Amino acid sequence: MSIEALVDLTGPGRYLDWRFIQISGANFAVIVLMLVVFVLALFLPFPGGRGAGKR
Amino acid sequence: MTAGRVDPAAGDWRGPRRPYDLVKEFIVALVVVSLLTVVLALLFSSPNEKGVTLEQWARKAPNDFIATTVSELAGTSTSAGYGPPYNHSSTGQQIGPLHLQKWAGVRIPVDPARAFVIDPLRTMTGDAAVQAAVRRYEAAPSAQQDQWAGAYADALSKAPGGDPAQVAAGDYGPVPAMATGLLGLAQSGALDSQLVNAGTGFYQADYTKPLLFLADGGYLADLAQAQHLSGNQWGMMNETGNFPGQPWLWLYTFWYQVRPFSTSTNADALVWGLMMLLSLALVLVPFIPGVRSIPRLLPLYRLVWRSYYREHGAPRR
Repeated sequence: MSIEALVDLTGPGRYLDWRFIQISGANFAVIVLMLVVFVLALFLPFPGGRGAGKR
Repeated sequence: MTAGRVDPAAGDWRGPRRPYDLVKEFIVALVVVSLLTVVLALLFSSPNEKGVTLEQWARKAPNDFIATTVSELAGTSTSAGYGPPYNHSSTGQQIGPLHLQKWAGVRIPVDPARAFVIDPLRTMTGDAAVQAAVRRYEAAPSAQQDQWAGAYADALSKAPGGDPAQVAAGDYGPVPAMATGLLGLAQSGALDSQLVNAGTGFYQADYTKPLLFLADGGYLADLAQAQHLSGNQWGMMNETGNFPGQPWLWLYTFWYQVRPFSTSTNADALVWGLMMLLSLALVLVPFIPGVRSIPRLLPLYRLVWRSYYREHGAPRR
């Protein structure tokens, strides 16, 4: 028995082209998400971190 | 560095210290990433492209299959001229005087004409015409074999669409009968199992020969091109369909897109050598003056530990 994926990613891939640079839409999305997570990690406060340095 | 000035990046930390639970962080990260993996797998599943078979190739692109078979007999295919680890026909990839591929040696000897064409045809014992063609081919001198195969390869390349039925008349000896015989064998599905190395035991997993034969043809390359998986399409980074691939390989595949690598026959060795040098530089970052100071000069750490620096002010230089 196989479980169908809720989002179907099969089928022809979408690609972004700029001069000699080619990148798939999926890879581009992953890179953007990684940058978003990096920026969030910089700006979101540490949970419970306020008092930690005073111990 | 000027005399008497100490690089702060090379010194010991003299500021305050705080306890930190690394095990707790590891476990939290493990649980979060595991949950994310399960949720993303349920949402998107994973690529599951069916394997390409010789039968599929022979049925969908018979003219390409015939042309590739003839190139194996003529010794002009990619695998026939690959060099180590399959044969001695070339020295292969090198970096200047470093003959890396040649030094690795011929560890998996493959004679494409015999392995992909003649030996499988010999198993068609019920086909007298094919057996007669093989006997005639093997009885002929090597120069005659090359002349037959070369002439038929030329004629195929000039025929409309590479169609064997439209090849001009000529002296091709038993080569057309052999190529047609192998096409029939492949279309029946028998060639797929014949080329898998039976010497690997009950569970056969050595697909070297069918992969080499497939890669010699244009069919597999066309499929790869359509899926953006070729080397000149940043293929190393890509996955089939709309699935994300391996974006972390961007630098490795980047070099293949630019000169001199994009036009070099030694691109694999040159790119590998360059990446090894860059990897070594990355490992040695703590020892490279200037580069090791980038984190201090780009004070992202002050953003991460902003509450500390709000209380204690700027770090001492």
